[in-house]
Amino acid sequence: MTEREKLMSKVQRYGFAVVEANLYLDSHPTCPHGLEYYTKNKALYDEAVAEYESKFAPINLPSDPKSLWKWSTTPFPWEYDPNLKEDE
Amino acid sequence: MWYYTKKLEYPIKIKNTNPTLASLILSQLGGPDGETGAAMRYLSQRYTAPCHEVQAILNDVGTEELSHMEMISTIIYQLTRNLTPQQIMDSGFAPYYMEHTTGIYTASANGNSFTADFFQSTGDPIADMHEDLAAEQKARLTYDNILRLTDDPDVRDAIKFLREREIVHYQRFGEGLRLIQDSLDSKNFYAYNPSFDKCKPAKKF
Repeated sequence: MTEREKLMSKVQRYGFAVVEANLYLDSHPTCPHGLEYYTKNKALYDEAVAEYESKFAPINLPSDPKSLWKWSTTPFPWEYDPNLKEDE
Repeated sequence: MWYYTKKLEYPIKIKNTNPTLASLILSQLGGPDGETGAAMRYLSQRYTAPCHEVQAILNDVGTEELSHMEMISTIIYQLTRNLTPQQIMDSGFAPYYMEHTTGIYTASANGNSFTADFFQSTGDPIADMHEDLAAEQKARLTYDNILRLTDDPDVRDAIKFLREREIVHYQRFGEGLRLIQDSLDSKNFYAYNPSFDKCKPAKKF
């Protein structure tokens, strides 16, 4: 796994924990364990997203695009070709 | 409103193409129990749900279904990468190719286009919740049917994730149904539509 893949995997793992906790809390809005689980994973998700975005490409619309609009110049998530290296 | 998050909910990296498998998995995009129907169903039903919790469940499960449309589309896209005319001719993908090439189109494995007739929004939350519970089971069994037909680990991994999500959504809709019923007369849940027949009029004219 490349560094990019490893970091995206981290984003997806914490992102999934956030999605799952969100659905659970919809029907258990006062559950202290659910709220704690959500808070912990949301912070880890935001941190992983920020790290991925600073090293590779935007996941959310950028707050400071600087000199290049990377949103439209980096790969979309459905693209995968085993013969091409993603970091290049 | 929505913002796009530029990632998949779960990673999909399919090394080997398989156009016949793509034409079967297509049903989970545009078939009668597919992800498009699921997203449209829940996002349509949420407006008349009788309490905020059930509105939230429909809103957030419906939103997750949009990300599942994207996952199924990605699987089909990657399974049909760099095909030769001979590979298409030799596969079950040929009829789809004739109209869509390798574009992603919402249709079923049978070749029927997606239609809103696949789902309902009745305005009656008890009827809607029962439809939603059934829909999650039908999607789950379609994923089971896919898993019986392929041993490709890259495809199975993503399909198993999606199958698990159907089970979690079923659980959440069960809780939604319970929340609605808890606010009704337990002697007769079906006496009236809690989203329409809201309360007895205070005064008769």
